[in-house]
Amino acid sequence: MIEARQIAVTFNAGTPMETPAMRGIDLTIPEGDFVTVIGSNGAGKSTFLNALAGELRPDSGQILIGDQDVTAWPTAKRAGLVARVFQDPLGGSCANLTIEENLALANARGKRRGFGASVGAHLREDFRAQITRLNLGLENRLGDRMELLSGGQRQAVSLLMAAMQPMKILLLDEHTAALDPKTAAFVLELTREIVAERGLTTLMVTHSMRQALAIGNRTVMLHEGQVVLDVRDQEREGLKVEDLLHMFEKVRGEEIDDDALLLS
Amino acid sequence: MIAQRMGFAALAAAVSLGFSTLAVAADKHVAITQIVEHPALDAVRKGVKDVLAEAGYIEGKGLKWSFESAQGNAATAAQIAKKFAGDAPDVIVAIATPSAQTVVANTKTIPVVFSAVTDPVGAKLVSDAMHPGKNVTGVTDMTPIAAHMALVKRVVPNAKRLGVISNPGEANSVSLVTLIEAEAPKAGMSVVVAAATKSGEVLAAARSLVGKVDAIYIPTDNTVVSAFEAVVKVGNEAGIAVLAGDTDSVKRGAVAAAGFNYYDIGRQTGHMVVKILHGANPGDMAVEGVAKTDLHLNLKSAKTQGVTLSDALIGEAKDVIR
Amino acid sequence: MSQIAFLGAIEVGLLFALVALGVYLSFRVLQFPDLTVDGSFPLGAAVCASLIVVEVNPYLASLAAAVAGAGAGMVTAWLNVRLKILHLLASILTMIALYSINLRIMGRPNIALLGETTVFTPLEALGEAVDMPTYVVLPIALFGLVILVKLALDWFLNSEVGLAMRATGVNPRMARAQGIHTNRYILGGMALSNALVALAGALFAQSQGAADVTLGVGVIVVGLAAVIGGEAVMNTATVFRATLACIIGSILYRLAVAGALNADMLGLKAQDLNLITAVLVTLAMVLPGVRMPFRGKRKGGMTS
Repeated sequence: MIEARQIAVTFNAGTPMETPAMRGIDLTIPEGDFVTVIGSNGAGKSTFLNALAGELRPDSGQILIGDQDVTAWPTAKRAGLVARVFQDPLGGSCANLTIEENLALANARGKRRGFGASVGAHLREDFRAQITRLNLGLENRLGDRMELLSGGQRQAVSLLMAAMQPMKILLLDEHTAALDPKTAAFVLELTREIVAERGLTTLMVTHSMRQALAIGNRTVMLHEGQVVLDVRDQEREGLKVEDLLHMFEKVRGEEIDDDALLLS
Repeated sequence: MIAQRMGFAALAAAVSLGFSTLAVAADKHVAITQIVEHPALDAVRKGVKDVLAEAGYIEGKGLKWSFESAQGNAATAAQIAKKFAGDAPDVIVAIATPSAQTVVANTKTIPVVFSAVTDPVGAKLVSDAMHPGKNVTGVTDMTPIAAHMALVKRVVPNAKRLGVISNPGEANSVSLVTLIEAEAPKAGMSVVVAAATKSGEVLAAARSLVGKVDAIYIPTDNTVVSAFEAVVKVGNEAGIAVLAGDTDSVKRGAVAAAGFNYYDIGRQTGHMVVKILHGANPGDMAVEGVAKTDLHLNLKSAKTQGVTLSDALIGEAKDVIR
Repeated sequence: MSQIAFLGAIEVGLLFALVALGVYLSFRVLQFPDLTVDGSFPLGAAVCASLIVVEVNPYLASLAAAVAGAGAGMVTAWLNVRLKILHLLASILTMIALYSINLRIMGRPNIALLGETTVFTPLEALGEAVDMPTYVVLPIALFGLVILVKLALDWFLNSEVGLAMRATGVNPRMARAQGIHTNRYILGGMALSNALVALAGALFAQSQGAADVTLGVGVIVVGLAAVIGGEAVMNTATVFRATLACIIGSILYRLAVAGALNADMLGLKAQDLNLITAVLVTLAMVLPGVRMPFRGKRKGGMTS
């Protein structure tokens, strides 16, 4: 179980550009939940994800993963518990290392690294078997550099990488946002498969309300640094985008006017 | 008629061929390297070349003259040394300690004459300065410090404290300061040393001596000498006598110097080279110290720096600036 | 070019190949512009020479030099990762400090090693026994050493730890997400890099007869020229090829220097070398997008 208790983050505190990115967010994610997180720009989605991942330290509040208080843990220390797929396909992998080297990096997440060969013959076969299921024809291209792959291919591999080793939570950071619709659909379907297969606890940030409702079992909406909506299971089933909007208006007394959020 | 002409032509050709062969056979090769280009080191090189010319070895006419400067780079100096070792000249002349060391490391057979090296034994170029024994000999520019300390006392008889400015990063300079600290007390003076690691720091170093010393002495330190005017400025302003280890500094404002100049050292080196070209063995040639010193005085500086020079002293001088 | 000059170029080229490998580790693998080498090269020479003149075994002295270099590299890395000083600045600070430290270690600006027992002394004796001159024996011995170092480095960079170090340089954020404590890897990588450079300094001093406090001038430029020159003439897609390129680049550079010294008709002198080196390095850095017809794909250029 993952718990975020009263997380608060303020950027540029004490300056004219002071921005409270998160204002006391409380969220409990039981094991097995697949949570989608939406919100307009500046709502605090990415900041929340970064706080969970350890990229930034909240000004106040606690983060617990399992029973451990990881609030003070840097990213590398948390890596055994947290897997992540970044939004930028190239930013989330090592561009001029090969596919198998990237897989090897992910394979060692959470483990002690030693002086043995990073990609031995045994491991390579293992990688080949795993990457074949992607049906992208990459099984013979393990020695190719990551930068040679298309955006969609890279995200697919990144998903594979993230799921390679056990984790308490999988963080997906708008991972289809940089892809064209067809490829995005492919990656999303792959996401659904992998999460279901391994029963992964997942938090997926997305910019698309439609996408948020179409996948997972729970949707959370952030607005101005706070949780404003949290619907799951029965309540969420059958909901459409308009329904979400009505619910938002009721809670906040104002309308959403973020076009990107409404139209995507 | 034609046969006669052909005959003459053949004879002329044979004679000139003979002469040119003679000339080629007699061509000596002197290879010379210095660690960096710098007025003093360049003067050494000129001294060598001039003496060679006077002995009949002129570049292009009986002499092959190779010169390479290492531009301050140790790896380049090493490659120059290797090039010379491979070219097998009759003599290699190496000016300054780093160049000399790398040349000696790269050849044990070719005669090497070093020049402008202050401490050849400390630099392990020779083990015994009197009988070098191998293929290396040369001329050291070790300043006759004892004589210079005596000169300081003649110029400033009441001096009890002597200021010295030096760059701790220059091997030669450091040796000189050690010598000064040994000799000055014998002349009744204590020593105050101010450090300047680059020429921009010399002015501050000189100023730091004001009020603490009765006279300033500048050894042959490349860094400090290159900014000598700064020292003179301070000496003039504060009324402190400035003496130098090299004579060129007198026209730049030092009141006195009983020095040698690097051109003369170059000439001394050139004479050693000529001896070797004539067949002498460098191992039998003792390392030479500065042979020729001249007293130079600057009466204008004497006035500004508050010093009275005796007539006897002025009479001994080779050169007096009024 | 005489045989001595040619073999001499190979010899100096192999010595500086160690520098090139060190520079490759910092500049290319860790993406850390590191000027410390201008200080760690003479540091290695200083430590080694100071120990040799008090009768310490030259092999131990050379090892001590490498350890000292590792220390210098870690200081620079620490300034960067802990005190958040920009890497280039951090390296300059260490380099400047080392000038004074080297003087302190040596006690004077120059320690002569001519005639002392060095790591090369037994090799010279061996050469005499088989009638091979020193200028042949030394390059052969250095070749053996450099190949050993290269293969060890290749093995290291292809290990799990080595891969983590490479990831640290390519994408530190992603590396951290994979559990790599990037700060530790930067410290370790910089230590290894400067240990190699210091070792090169120790060997250089022993082969050229002296450790001088001015030995470090221009080492970084020469190292870069070797790394970049190597990349210009061969494909560096794999670790094996990349390290090989460093060695080849260093040797080619020294051959070019020897060529310039011996090309009397071109009128090139040693004096022109600084300019030529600067032009070469600039060209190689400015033309990364230009594909040479005989090369394959090249490794990504340096990001700032």
